[in-house]
Amino acid sequence: MAHYDYEEKKLSVSRREFLGLLGVGAAVIWMGAYVTTDLVKNRKKYIRMRAQGLYKDDGQSVIRQSHNNKALMDMYAQFAGKPLSTVPQELFHTKYVDRINLGGVI
Amino acid sequence: MMGLQENEFRGIIQIDKKACKGCDGCKSVCPTGAIEGKYGANHTINQEKCIDCGQCLINCPFGAPIDTIDMVDQVMARLIDKSTTVVATIAPSVRVAIGEEFGMEPGTLATAKLYGALKQVGFKILDTNFTADMTIMEEGTELVEKLRHYFLGEDTVTPVGPLPQLTSCCPGWVHYAELNNPGVLKHMSSAKSPMMMAGALAKTYGAQNIWGVDPQQIYVVGIMPCTAKKFEASRPEFYNAAQYWGKRGRTGNYPDIDTVLTTRDLARLLKKLNIDLQAVAEITDADNPLAQYSGAGTIFGNTGGVMEAALRTAYFVITGQELPILSFEPVRGLNGVKKTDISLHDAQTGKDFILKVAVVNGIKENLTSVIEEVEAGNSPYHFIEIMNCPGGCVNGGGQPTNPMGTAWIDKYKALLPW
Ligand code: SF4
Ligand code: SF4
Ligand code: SF4
Repeated sequence: MAHYDYEEKKLSVSRREFLGLLGVGAAVIWMGAYVTTDLVKNRKKYIRMRAQGLYKDDGQSVIRQSHNNKALMDMYAQFAGKPLSTVPQELFHTKYVDRINLGGVI
Repeated sequence: MMGLQENEFRGIIQIDKKACKGCDGCKSVCPTGAIEGKYGANHTINQEKCIDCGQCLINCPFGAPIDTIDMVDQVMARLIDKSTTVVATIAPSVRVAIGEEFGMEPGTLATAKLYGALKQVGFKILDTNFTADMTIMEEGTELVEKLRHYFLGEDTVTPVGPLPQLTSCCPGWVHYAELNNPGVLKHMSSAKSPMMMAGALAKTYGAQNIWGVDPQQIYVVGIMPCTAKKFEASRPEFYNAAQYWGKRGRTGNYPDIDTVLTTRDLARLLKKLNIDLQAVAEITDADNPLAQYSGAGTIFGNTGGVMEAALRTAYFVITGQELPILSFEPVRGLNGVKKTDISLHDAQTGKDFILKVAVVNGIKENLTSVIEEVEAGNSPYHFIEIMNCPGGCVNGGGQPTNPMGTAWIDKYKALLPW
């Protein structure tokens, strides 16, 4: 089998850069916040790219609606019955917890 | 610790003291105000407030916040053990982001490659998109029951909760509401998230009807764009498959979802096994019933996607006709709060009514006004989708951190004095 070597992409700062950053102190701290704003702006660009990927997946699907998913309807017919009926209530629904009044559980 | 149930994970996200520069960047994205520390000093996370969403992690320019739950080696051990059926359930957003870890452009749709890689290393597939469709059937039916009850005065078999109905598929949001707005929990859809439905389904229908194996021998791995999903899987409520079999004479105690890998974790697992996603043979898995999904299931990963998917089905159930235009633009895009009205003509009674919906993404900036109205009992809406992360799960805290391949330091090196 062929072997591939990958470099893990890193967001972190290298040792040399890290030392350099320590040297410039407050300016860098300020820049961190500044860069974060910039990152967030940059991020919007690829959020859109990823979102487009999913809309493309939707657009090219033959079946566009959940109720037309035949394999899913087979599951209900063979196993779970109707949505919200007994088996779905046992397996697919849940309850929530008021954590303010839960107190401390360890 | 306050606010936790037994055995729930705590402190999934931690800030590495050595890496933190105290720049406050994370505070500007944290939805809960959990991050403490003075400007310039080391920051720490107040774990009683934190909802494990990982937004600080993907936005810190120094890579200081870390995800402390690393299950890659455990999953690899399960894959080797031939007596275990290891099932991967893959969230919508993973397929458009994992490629980034292998040099593809953000948004590259890698479903067939991902199926290929997962099969090659020994996973069976139960696509979370299949259970996203199931979520729509459950949550949509719940909504339609409420609408018929409140608008058309019809009786319901079991008592229904109040309107507006709030979506429940984002564990970050659910955890946030449980900690901060328990008054709105009665509005929350009782439908589990698609991942939790997948776990319960794998160990019942999957075990019995599809794979023909003992449910105890199934190990379900959620592959998620989200660190809050690690918390969700650890909640004590989710032993429903074991309880289901218990009532039917088969004992055993096992969780519905055994563990969660983020998109980043899965990329690490594949790299450890020397799998190059770009080079993997594509598989459509056309004869696997659990890998069939509709376009509605896949858009769950986008803000507005759950709403759009639910509307396609609710519209059909009430009017008897398919929505004429499927791309429902008013709920698409990155605005923090999106609102729209849909007129519905009930095929059974001939009555007309207007369904008012809202979509919130980015709890930090956009939740307050919408949720205060719900708490006060004067919300104008009937159905509200809420996702913690800006843009939805495509921007989740478990996603690749530097999609363009450029860490911020490269871009700003020119400004630095060395
Ligand atoms: S953004 Fe990162 S470096 Fe800045 S304060 Fe937060 S954890 Fe520390
Ligand atoms: S994980 Fe989310 S809630 Fe927790 S500190 Fe980070 S941003 Fe805040
Ligand atoms: S929006 Fe998606 S990724 Fe973000 S916390 Fe919610 S479920 Fe997780």
